[in-house]
Amino acid sequence: MESLDKQIRDKARELLTSGAFACVMGYERATDGKTARPLFAYTPEEAERFVFDQYCTHNLARYLINWRDNKKSVGIVAKPCDTRAINLLINEKQIDRSKLYVIGVACQGIMEVGWGAPTEKLELRCNTCSEPNPVLHDLLVGEFKSESPAAAKAYADVAAIEGKSAEERDGFWQEHFSRCIRCYACRQSCVGCYCQECFVDELDPLWVGIKVAPAENTVWHTIRAFHLAGRCISCNECERVCPVDIPLSLLNRKLEKDGLELFQFQAGMDASVTPPFATFKKGEKLGTGD
Amino acid sequence: MARIGVFVCHCGTNIAGVVSIPAVLEAAKKMPGVVVAADDKYSCSDPGQAHIRAVIEQNKLNRVVIGSCSPRMHEFTFRKVMVKAGLNPYFLEVANIREQVSWVHSNDKEKATAKAIDHVMIAVAKVARDEALFPKRVPLTKRALVIGAGITGIQAALDIASAGHPVTLVEREASIGGHMAQLDKTFPTLDCSACILTPKMVEVAQHPNITLLTYSEVRQVSGFVGNFDVEIVKKARKVDSKKCTGCGVCWLKCPEKVPAEFNEGLGTREAIYVPFPQAVPLVPRVDLENCRYIKYLEYMPGKTPGKRPMQCRICEKLCPVQALDWEQQDEVVKEKFGAIVVATGYKTFDPSVCGEYGGGKLPDVISGLQLERMFNSSGPTGGEVLRPSDGTHPKTVVLVSCVGSRDEQRGRPYCSKICCMYTAKQTILLKEHDPEVQCYVFYIDIRTGGKDYEEFARRAQEEYGALYLRGRISRIYEDGKQLVVLGEDSLMGRPVEIRADMVVLATGVEANEGAAELAQTMKLSHDVYDFLTEAHPKLKPVETQTDGILVAGACVGPKDIPECVAQGGAAAAKVSALFSQEMLTSDPMVASVDNARCIGCLLCVQVCPYKAIDTQVLRNGRTVAVVNESLCRACGLCPAVCRPKAVNLRGFTNQQLLAEVNALWQ
Ligand SMILES: Cc1cc2nc3c(=O)[nH]c(=O)nc-3n(C[C@H](O)[C@H](O)[C@H](O)COP(=O)(O)OP(=O)(O)OC[C@H]3O[C@@H](n4cnc5c(N)ncnc54)[C@H](O)[C@@H]3O)c2cc1C
Ligand code: SF4
Ligand code: SF4
Repeated sequence: MESLDKQIRDKARELLTSGAFACVMGYERATDGKTARPLFAYTPEEAERFVFDQYCTHNLARYLINWRDNKKSVGIVAKPCDTRAINLLINEKQIDRSKLYVIGVACQGIMEVGWGAPTEKLELRCNTCSEPNPVLHDLLVGEFKSESPAAAKAYADVAAIEGKSAEERDGFWQEHFSRCIRCYACRQSCVGCYCQECFVDELDPLWVGIKVAPAENTVWHTIRAFHLAGRCISCNECERVCPVDIPLSLLNRKLEKDGLELFQFQAGMDASVTPPFATFKKGEKLGTGD
Repeated sequence: MARIGVFVCHCGTNIAGVVSIPAVLEAAKKMPGVVVAADDKYSCSDPGQAHIRAVIEQNKLNRVVIGSCSPRMHEFTFRKVMVKAGLNPYFLEVANIREQVSWVHSNDKEKATAKAIDHVMIAVAKVARDEALFPKRVPLTKRALVIGAGITGIQAALDIASAGHPVTLVEREASIGGHMAQLDKTFPTLDCSACILTPKMVEVAQHPNITLLTYSEVRQVSGFVGNFDVEIVKKARKVDSKKCTGCGVCWLKCPEKVPAEFNEGLGTREAIYVPFPQAVPLVPRVDLENCRYIKYLEYMPGKTPGKRPMQCRICEKLCPVQALDWEQQDEVVKEKFGAIVVATGYKTFDPSVCGEYGGGKLPDVISGLQLERMFNSSGPTGGEVLRPSDGTHPKTVVLVSCVGSRDEQRGRPYCSKICCMYTAKQTILLKEHDPEVQCYVFYIDIRTGGKDYEEFARRAQEEYGALYLRGRISRIYEDGKQLVVLGEDSLMGRPVEIRADMVVLATGVEANEGAAELAQTMKLSHDVYDFLTEAHPKLKPVETQTDGILVAGACVGPKDIPECVAQGGAAAAKVSALFSQEMLTSDPMVASVDNARCIGCLLCVQVCPYKAIDTQVLRNGRTVAVVNESLCRACGLCPAVCRPKAVNLRGFTNQQLLAEVNALWQ
């Protein structure tokens, strides 16, 4: 079989040569020669630099928003979790499926890259991944997996926190939130955070105090989590980019778990499903089950 | 700068008896932006209003807070005072210190006063953030749509038409008339149903303001009060109603016979037919399921195996005006209406689910409606009461009330209201048809609320000798030619057994077929039994939650003819009142979208229960949500789901609400 890189390059070149595509997004080798960085190819020549391997970590669906009102189409190289993000954006009318070409990659898992140092350890999201195949693609590359090895332990860490007392949980989060420097990297990397003006930036009304302090930080993270309820597709980009290592995915995946248990809903699996927020079905459970 | 005036009303002693007015005034004077605080014995009275107006003018106020009763009571009154004082009426906040303070905290005056101050403080904080709002004026189409042409719909259509407005009356069946056309004589006066109904039916047909669409159904309704867009499907009759003279030769000669629905399955009708001789319009329709020629046409292309149907077409040959039109197709009519009256009536409970009554299998156990058809001289038996099994005259008749009513187990806990009365009527008519008949009535209670109703039911017993037995029936079975009815007489506390020739089941009233679906197309709500819900059971009996859509008659719940006629007229009066306006004003306190913030996720479109939100494409190509102000009911769902807070309820914006909360926390 042809290498992943070749298949991606061939398709990207074809799309860009057709003239209908403004850009194809994917990954190229980073300057360290080992990890990968995003590549936005605008010409067929640039397409020759595409690569794909276990260091292609970024969720590029984040950048699709920038093309929302563009007349031309865009192509994107997407891992399974990225395809869920694309579905979210389609469902929320942020991109037009007909102007999008998805090169879906059946994923072997992504390796953690610490502060500049690539490791041989799978990322958290891959250890908790429930969908190792693209849920959406125009071209599928890589080996289609029949079963997710990680699905079983998808919420083990969430369940562990749930098991703690309210005081313990409060202590846990206060400790983490007190370290937050409000750099908003989590928001900037998040595919669901695409508001023109984020509530945290608003001055009138001032929803969150400007001070970087535990109380304000807690409000920031809590509201952000609520704004992602039923929408987070667990790519864990927020947690990956956090410079002070706040385990944000715990918060978001708790809400995802609740959504599954209460409404049998997981965001991004199918763009045509109306999210629970916009539906009311007779017999639906209310509350969080406590 | 906000120059706020606070007015505190004593409401006699209603407020002043509990809340310390001087304390509230004192506190109010210190609140930010407050220029003056004053009190009135009754703010809503003429002197009170004049005082408020004077204080506004003297102090050049631009914002007003009134601490008084609930805004539901007098907000409108005070808005008018604002207008008179030259201010925008929406620069007003009413702090409810009566219902929410003095009435509920009369046992603790100190705390009540503190709470009243809080309420005023919240209102002061909010009023500073109030914006000037202006109602919009929208044109309206002065044409009404009436759906369902039973007695209710007929009455509504006639009354609207007589007020001078054009009406389109849509009826699903081939003729208008509804259930009343099936009845023989009507309680409590025993006048013949046809004699009082037919003139109205003819008037409908001849009224210059009424367009009658029979054998038609409403498919889609969109828009809002004054401006509904409606799609009506005129189903193909296969008969050209412009040519047809109603001579009747086609249905006389049609060889195909099927059970007659109008006669409740007693007797037959033809495949080209009018449901009953007085039908309006007197134009037959071809029953596509049973017509031999249609079956032939359907058979021909595929030549499916089986016997080849005959290619009859007798009607076409005999029709003197060549009215048969086999090419005729369903036609879709699209029209604009200003108001809609829903009068789709009811259907009767199907007793075949009741095993104890023979489950629809015993031929001589009939329904009340079937008996009505037998009484009728143009009915299937020519006006004779005959046993369906052998055509003989029954001498002992058992009538059973509450079949499918007040029956929790069968999911029909409600009272159908009309059955007690029509059962009494039927005992009288049975006796009049044949003086040898003895009637027995099994009942739970005899409910005869209504003018002359009790007297009528008494007459059935006292003059016409009907024997009333209180109790339920446990079983009915055939024994030879007769029916054995086993029941209990709960007053005597003993079982009874009656050998009867015929049993009549007083079947209850149910929501009509398709009522829930129709309600959904119009965004009307219905109860668990699919009866349509009125806006208020007492004060708004024909209005709905959707402005411009009215409900009347048996589609709202069981009703007899007098009530149906009254409701039809009531709905017409509401329509006429609406149409008396040249323009409609819409409430400005509705949702509105800030284009700059809207991200076009359209979650609001999905949650809006009134389908009030649409999309628009901005000049830069971005798609954003836009609220149709006439449809919005200010329910507040969309602001709740909008993450970027692009949609706000005017008069309840985030800034205003947060100002209230902040005021409380200070
Ligand atoms: C056996 C029996 C005896 C009765 N005797 C009496 C009596 O003596 N005195 C008395 O006061 N009352 C009597 N009633 C009650 C009486 O029948 C009702 O009160 C009255 O007929 C209700 O009128 P309506 O117009 O509301 O409904 P209906 O008569 O049911 O009329 C509704 C009309 O709407 C049409 N329709 C339904 N859905 C649609 C749709 N989606 N689109 C278009 N058209 C539609 C139907 O075809 C029908 O023509 C009796 C009832 C029964 C069952
Ligand atoms: S074609 Fe024959 S069966 Fe059909 S309506 Fe005419 S007469 Fe009746
Ligand atoms: S306030 Fe309610 S009715 Fe109005 S647009 Fe929003 S969701 Fe619809």
